[in-house]
Amino acid sequence: MTITAPRRRPYRAPAPLGGRARAPHRRRPGLKASVFLFPAIVILGAFVVWPMISALRLSFTDASGFGAVHWVGLENYVRVLSDPKIRESVVNTVIYTATFTPTAVLAALVLALLVNNPRMPFASFFRTALFVPFMVSLAVGAFAWSYLIDPQVGLLNYWLGAVGIHLGNVLEDPTLALPAVAMVAVWKSFGFYFVIFLAGLQDIPRSLYEAATVDGANWWNRFRFITVPMLSNTFAFVLVFAVIAALQAFDQIYVMTGGGPYGHTQTIVMEIYESGFRRLELGFASALSYVLLIATLLLSLIQFAFFSRRERDLS
Amino acid sequence: MTRKTSLAFAAAGLAALAVAGCSPTATPTATATDPSGSPNAETVELTFWHGYTEADGDVLNKIVADFNASQDAIQITTEVNPWAVIDDTFLPALAAGTGPSIVAMPAERLPVYANRGAFVALDDWYASPDSNAASLNPGAVQMVTVGGKKYGVPTGFVPLAMYYNKALFAAAGITAPPTTWDEWVSVAKKLTIDDNGDGTPEQYGVVLPDHATVANGLWPSLFYGNGGDIVADGTTAVIDSPANADTLRFWQDAIASDHISPTGVDGIGADGVFSSGKAAMTIGGPWMVFIAADNKIDYGIAPIPAGPVTQAASAIGVSMAITDQGDPVKVAAAKKFFSFFFNETNTVAWSLGSGWPPLRTDIAADAVAENPTVVALTAQASLGRPLLPGVVNSVDVLAAVDELTQRAMAGEDIAKLLQEAQSSIQAALDAK
Amino acid sequence: MTAATGRRLHPATIGGFVSLVVVTALALLPIAIIVFTAFKPVANSVLFAGGVTLFALVFDSLAAYALARIDFRGRRVLLVAIIATLMIPFQATLVPVYQLVSNLGWVNTFAGLIAPRAADAFGIFFLRQFFLAIPRELDSAARIDGAGEFRIYRSIVLPNAIPALMTLGVFIFVNNWNDLLWPLVFTTEQSMGTLTSGLTLLTGPGGIIPYGVMMAGSLVAVVPLVIGFLFVQRRFIESIATTGLK
Repeated sequence: MTITAPRRRPYRAPAPLGGRARAPHRRRPGLKASVFLFPAIVILGAFVVWPMISALRLSFTDASGFGAVHWVGLENYVRVLSDPKIRESVVNTVIYTATFTPTAVLAALVLALLVNNPRMPFASFFRTALFVPFMVSLAVGAFAWSYLIDPQVGLLNYWLGAVGIHLGNVLEDPTLALPAVAMVAVWKSFGFYFVIFLAGLQDIPRSLYEAATVDGANWWNRFRFITVPMLSNTFAFVLVFAVIAALQAFDQIYVMTGGGPYGHTQTIVMEIYESGFRRLELGFASALSYVLLIATLLLSLIQFAFFSRRERDLS
Repeated sequence: MTRKTSLAFAAAGLAALAVAGCSPTATPTATATDPSGSPNAETVELTFWHGYTEADGDVLNKIVADFNASQDAIQITTEVNPWAVIDDTFLPALAAGTGPSIVAMPAERLPVYANRGAFVALDDWYASPDSNAASLNPGAVQMVTVGGKKYGVPTGFVPLAMYYNKALFAAAGITAPPTTWDEWVSVAKKLTIDDNGDGTPEQYGVVLPDHATVANGLWPSLFYGNGGDIVADGTTAVIDSPANADTLRFWQDAIASDHISPTGVDGIGADGVFSSGKAAMTIGGPWMVFIAADNKIDYGIAPIPAGPVTQAASAIGVSMAITDQGDPVKVAAAKKFFSFFFNETNTVAWSLGSGWPPLRTDIAADAVAENPTVVALTAQASLGRPLLPGVVNSVDVLAAVDELTQRAMAGEDIAKLLQEAQSSIQAALDAK
Repeated sequence: MTAATGRRLHPATIGGFVSLVVVTALALLPIAIIVFTAFKPVANSVLFAGGVTLFALVFDSLAAYALARIDFRGRRVLLVAIIATLMIPFQATLVPVYQLVSNLGWVNTFAGLIAPRAADAFGIFFLRQFFLAIPRELDSAARIDGAGEFRIYRSIVLPNAIPALMTLGVFIFVNNWNDLLWPLVFTTEQSMGTLTSGLTLLTGPGGIIPYGVMMAGSLVAVVPLVIGFLFVQRRFIESIATTGLK
């Protein structure tokens, strides 16, 4: 330990999710901002916003993408709110989100904390290995998992059977299929959240931990009073995007169960896909998409507000 | 950021822009060069999308190449992608007006697009004397008929058949494939072997998928066998019938009591069980021949055993259609190609190349004698029934059938399931 | 033109440098053509995923800088609008996007594949989070020296955000490398096929997947990603070490 304290830069609390208030610039901020924003706004405007507006227009019609188009007003939206199959897919999506989000986010957080420990051996190996599932294409990963849980030849069934747990045909089981698909998604996605948490953890100055240790804090106190507040913005960020991703679950369900068994893993985006591409009811698919968009937006804004307020209370 | 890194980024960016700006030259497949050597301003150019990705695709592409070589006025380019990919990419292409002139798709997809006006009605072509369409298999033509009009031509039509493992049959001392349901169950029982008595047989007599079956055709075939059906006249659901209830009960008992088949399996899984030698019989399509050969299984082909009322098999169908993009010149050109496709030489060549029976009923049996699979399947061709012909919302009807059969085989109450299926299917039929 | 360190670049050095670049490019061009023709799907995958990553990193970071550092009216609204674009599933916008790309004549070109993804809301928001965490004191020193916004962006914010940029870069690259449907929809010609779409052609008749071949192909598809990540990961750690304790 050195005798003279090292020169420290003044500590600055991390940025809250909504941004910090600051003194306004004096010289035409709007113009400067426009230059920076220009390319992104052009791309997003042309290739995302414009198609979204087209989709909105389509949602009030019976269009199939080609051929005759007729205005039907709110008929599609009424059907979205009343069709029992849609309601079932909403329930499935909610259950899926509630299963996927906490698991993926907490697993990523715990693993990041473990790997970030400076005394952890082989940290860079773990870092890469844990990220590999994310890099495999989803179709291949889902297929590998289907193989693992195959009732006839699956390794997982074999091992679990050895300890007395008989899963049967998981993907055909009405109660087990949805959690199973959610877990495959967790396996595939946690690596990315893990890396984000790692980056967020690296941002926390080690000197804070050292000072706390000197003051006699144990690992739980260090976690509670240093890690948690400093990571809360990253945590909020990951949570918001994990929820958005879960609400839009499609690929793994398409590959593993196709929405089955008899609709038990049908999610909202599967319905959108089937309506638009299988039944050629693009108008209805667009209406369903907008209902999903509004729900997701509200949910995200609530999360924003919740975490911003917490940040203000903490600092 | 250092100056060097900035320069590197700039150079990379410029390179990327340059690459992005230039489009690679197209390498068309199956076009023959214009014999005169100079671009013919009158040449009509058509694109043809199909999903025959195996050796059969080569045969089809050759037929197209022959067509291109036989005349100067029309040149067709083929694009091959798996069927599922075509299904996903066809809609955006149609929407932007960049779709193919001719597209092939599984037969049950055609009515959905035809109903929305994607395809040109071909009744006049069928009626014309030089179209070669007069002797096309009537069941096959039914699959392209929507609302009384014909919106395409068949590219493939074959009844589902029973494929059996001759080696396993011989080991159990069975000399001939079963011809009735009762024989089928008793043969299956003999072929179901559970040596270690754990309740899960190592070898099943038969593998019967209970959902997403091959071409969605297994359970319709079983329903037909007992005199039942799913939809009548394309408008009325008739799934809830005593005949169908009996059929479901028969198979529910057979599978539950003697485990002659694994449960919860889908069509593709069933093919896997058969190809790994774990089941002695399966119901499948002509590609089972290739799969069996790849897995060194000595296979036999037999018709689906007859049910109590009749012997029938649902057919697998592939159809092709001409997209309606407002260009009558291209439509006329595509029609010419269809006439060429259905002349006797090409019908035989396509049958032999695809391994499916010839689409024309007036082809002599010895013309296809060199492919025994084709011979065997052609002999069964009369058993083939089109699946849900003319039904636009087949997606929902088949989903209801899947739910019915899957839950029935899982042991649920058949009467209740049939009632639910009846109302779902009727709702699907009434929807558009 | 002076470099940041104050050295003057002689015209002769610039000229020499440019000549070297041109000659090296010419020398390597035939090699590149050989490699790319032999492994066209790999090349297409690299160009597509790499192109999107490059443009997205640039455009997203520019936009994120504006949203993090410049206080202008309507910033909050713009932020919400950008986030909202993430909330519509792409199945709903695929057909309109395709119509637009087709009208631009960009089907079967890299422009059509890359441009719609050259900026994304997630990247903008993600980078904004990290830019906000970079202390403003660093900027103020440069501002006193008279540096403009772009200089601050380039010399202060970006170098301090390298972990975030690399993380985002990996994310974008992997997602586009593995993307199946997008290249299939926007290119109809086999010559433009990517590695993942090429794998679908391995599907046998009746939808049967030849597992051995498919797995081998998938392994080939993932190896470049793992190698890339190993490389990036080391730089990631190095950059953490140099930007250091704040």
